Amino acid sequence: MELQFDRVGKRFGDLNVVDCFDQTIASGELVALVGPSGCGKSTLLHMAAGLQSPSSGAVRANGEPISGPNPARTLVFQEHALFPWLTLRENVAIALEFQGIPRRQAHPKASEWLEKVRLQGFDDYYPHQVSGGMRQRAALARAFIAEPEVLLLDEPFGALDALTRMELQDVLKNLIRDLRVTVVLVTHDVDEALFLADRVLVFSQRPARVLREFRLAHVERTHDLTALSEERRQILSLLGVQTTSPIAENEEHV
Amino acid sequence: MSALNRYQKLGATVTAVAFILLIWQIAAWFLPEFLMPDVPIVFARLWQELQQPAFLDGLSGSLGRLGIGYGSALLLGIVFGLVAGVLHFFRAALKSAIIILQSIPSIAWVPLFLILMGFGNAPIIIVIAIGAFFPTALSVMNATEEVQKVHVDAARVMGASRGALLRRVYLPAVTPQLITGAQLAFGNAWRALISAEMIVGFGAGLGRSLAYSGEIADMTGVMTNILVIAILASLIDQVLLEGLKRRVLRYQYL
Repeated sequence: MELQFDRVGKRFGDLNVVDCFDQTIASGELVALVGPSGCGKSTLLHMAAGLQSPSSGAVRANGEPISGPNPARTLVFQEHALFPWLTLRENVAIALEFQGIPRRQAHPKASEWLEKVRLQGFDDYYPHQVSGGMRQRAALARAFIAEPEVLLLDEPFGALDALTRMELQDVLKNLIRDLRVTVVLVTHDVDEALFLADRVLVFSQRPARVLREFRLAHVERTHDLTALSEERRQILSLLGVQTTSPIAENEEHV
Repeated sequence: MSALNRYQKLGATVTAVAFILLIWQIAAWFLPEFLMPDVPIVFARLWQELQQPAFLDGLSGSLGRLGIGYGSALLLGIVFGLVAGVLHFFRAALKSAIIILQSIPSIAWVPLFLILMGFGNAPIIIVIAIGAFFPTALSVMNATEEVQKVHVDAARVMGASRGALLRRVYLPAVTPQLITGAQLAFGNAWRALISAEMIVGFGAGLGRSLAYSGEIADMTGVMTNILVIAILASLIDQVLLEGLKRRVLRYQYL
């Protein structure tokens, strides 16, 4: 599914959050949005999910204006989006049940998906009984089980420690490769963007405008990002991070 | 506050009960028997009464009225509270109505409904329902304000209909406060039941039997009825409602 942002603007009262965002995200492409906190990247995702509507311009999915949420375009939240009163299996199955699929069919399928994100044996655990990384695995399973055409990721691994985050990035990368979905990833982790994305858009302070675009689709990626050190340096300096001293070179975050 | 283990809690309850019985027994030592009977005499009478069909009829009559009145108040309170949670005008209106109506003691409605509905079960049941409705609706309504936006958004993104959103997100999210409200409502319902029965004096019931014992100056009968009222209320609240709470909120205790 192709996502088209057609001169999209968003204001909250006097606050201009997004200013004329004009981008087309091709079907099957993975685009990362990187920028300062509160610059309006999440607002763009929420508009693509249909949770908010733009103040000006339009967001289109395959040419059709987006008027509300649709399970074909699903959103993965930073954390705490699993329902604490449901077990992991019930949390994953509810994505199907909301679409009218009976519990009898949804539950076995949810178990299969928990296995795909390597959570086998944790079906009957409640979210507060497992680690943050396991919760986000379940959140990914819940997003993928409905076979969405667009996956919107809102800093999905932001609350996790660095190692867990890399593990989850691998899980996500494999799932995306198998399912060929269109992905928009909002992140403040430059390495995450470099590792996952075909294209990285670097945003300015609010109102969000694209400062620069990096095309990486041709590069084979591993967690060792030395091949992309030039792009990394440029993105960090666009975000105002000093990259000349050796200490800053090793900095993980922005 | 340090947590007590279950034996310490049991010990505290036993101490409280022993203290109440001791005060009563001291009063009985100082007052003549026809004014304040001894504790053992009342327990012996209770044992006798439990073999009497008339007494058991009264018990089942009272519990039946309680079940219908309290049950329908819970159901209506949940529905009204949830709908008020999502419709803002309705919420404001309901809140004002509750503030006005809650200040009227439920027993004050008895003359009105006695004349409107005639001598029978109906006015007692209505008065119980009025007493129990307000705390239930209020607790559910207030709890809907604390339902996390991320849970609602997640459900909407997964394609939840309005009904499914209420049933599967709002209802479980408000359940902890609902149960606290339901326990408060039970106290109101129980007090309304006994006093309405005392006033209306219809059919067999605990309040009726208590009022009758008073009229013929049978103090052993009065104390027996008071004892039954206290024991039953504690059993329902501490065993039935607490048990339900642990069952429904299983995920919080694991």
